[in-house]
Amino acid sequence: MIKVENLHKYFGKLEVLKGIDCEIKEKEVVCVIGPSGSGKSTFLRCINLLEEITDGAVYINGVKVNDAKTDINDIRTEVGMVFQQFNLFPHMTVIDNIIMAPMLIRKMSKSDAEKLALELLDKVGLRAKADNYPQQLSGGQQQRVAIARALAMKPKVMLFDEPTSALDPEMVNEVLDVMKQLAVEGMTMVVVTHEMGFAREVADRAIFMDGGYIVEEGDPEDLFGNPQNERTKAFLGKVL
Amino acid sequence: MDFFDLRWDIIWNYRELFLRGIWVTLVLTLSGYVGGIILGVLIGLGETSKRKLIYWPSKLYVDLFRGTPMLVQILIIHLALIPAVFGQSFGFMVSGITALILNSAAYNAEIIRAGIQSIDKGQMEAARSLGLTHNQAMRKIILPQAFRRMIPPLGNEFIALLKDSSLVTVIAASDILYAAKVVAGAYNRFWEPYLVAALLYLILTYLVTKVVAYIEKRFSNDYNPRKKREGRVEQ
Repeated sequence: MIKVENLHKYFGKLEVLKGIDCEIKEKEVVCVIGPSGSGKSTFLRCINLLEEITDGAVYINGVKVNDAKTDINDIRTEVGMVFQQFNLFPHMTVIDNIIMAPMLIRKMSKSDAEKLALELLDKVGLRAKADNYPQQLSGGQQQRVAIARALAMKPKVMLFDEPTSALDPEMVNEVLDVMKQLAVEGMTMVVVTHEMGFAREVADRAIFMDGGYIVEEGDPEDLFGNPQNERTKAFLGKVL
Repeated sequence: MDFFDLRWDIIWNYRELFLRGIWVTLVLTLSGYVGGIILGVLIGLGETSKRKLIYWPSKLYVDLFRGTPMLVQILIIHLALIPAVFGQSFGFMVSGITALILNSAAYNAEIIRAGIQSIDKGQMEAARSLGLTHNQAMRKIILPQAFRRMIPPLGNEFIALLKDSSLVTVIAASDILYAAKVVAGAYNRFWEPYLVAALLYLILTYLVTKVVAYIEKRFSNDYNPRKKREGRVEQ
């Protein structure tokens, strides 16, 4: 579903990704962990080209993302993204946040889009908040709306960029629960996270990144329970 | 002391001149402002462009028109630029409006640039990640938010322009200040005509602040035009 080949990314002279190779299959849930500055968010953002790719290639369903002939907007409609800072549109109500893209890009009628939006809000447990503005919601609620907004485009993959890192501790679980539900339903997911419990419980595979490389990857039970690489051991020793 | 012996009747005798002055001031200001917004949007967007051929001319324009006095600009446009380009003058109205448009465009451009750049980068990223093009994201997400932040400074700019429009009296435009000068010259009295001119400007700027305050409220998130979702059927 997603194939990353020898991905390099520079910010100016700083090399943030130093050759990433990785493949993510349909319905797979992959968690990316690692210390800050390891390049895991940049890796995620290269997949839907929010960051320009310096060298290498990313393929989604066989289509090369960083190709001049590829319409990146088409690709992005298939790849949902959830951000650390939620990034809801503050000038729109919750429901308008959700129906905007389906109406504009999928040319869905307003009534169909609203029906879909209400279903998604049901799913994340926020139907009652449809007509509120984002700033009237708690952080956890905002993030759940952001997930619903991304799902409204019916994406084939969901990318999560530290979705719970900006939340108060008591709100982390309500967001993780929604993500677990998605995983159970068979959504293909790439999750950059510091929630080791979530990674261990939900992920099919865990990837440990450090210094711009994938240092170790594998079944979460093995990676967390029996890490092979010294850097993985050191990192897990500090966070677990 | 003649401060306590004001002769308002001389103003009344010249009321038509003052009424015409109000009209001229309003036409100059409104035309200059609307033109200045349109040109300012283009230049302001130019200032946010990554293309150097668009960015640098926009930046240069703003620097030129913000860095020189409007009085000098008015004189250059009326006495030098327009005669040189067209071989004749088209009167104070054309020169005055041109000068006000060109000048306010520079200030509006800065307001628009700052408004756009004040919107969090994540907004553009979220919109793009949903598949919107850059232009769609600008139109649907960035500009509506930026516009709200621009309302107060754009209102200030309107008030500043209204007052600065009095500078066109140097090219004999018959605006409010011009009316006051005529009365002052005719009677050799200064309190009455200039106080009236000041009062007229004050009334106009006061009305503008009221309009701006209304617009600000109208575009805030709290404003809920007749509960627009009342009719939605709950499935």
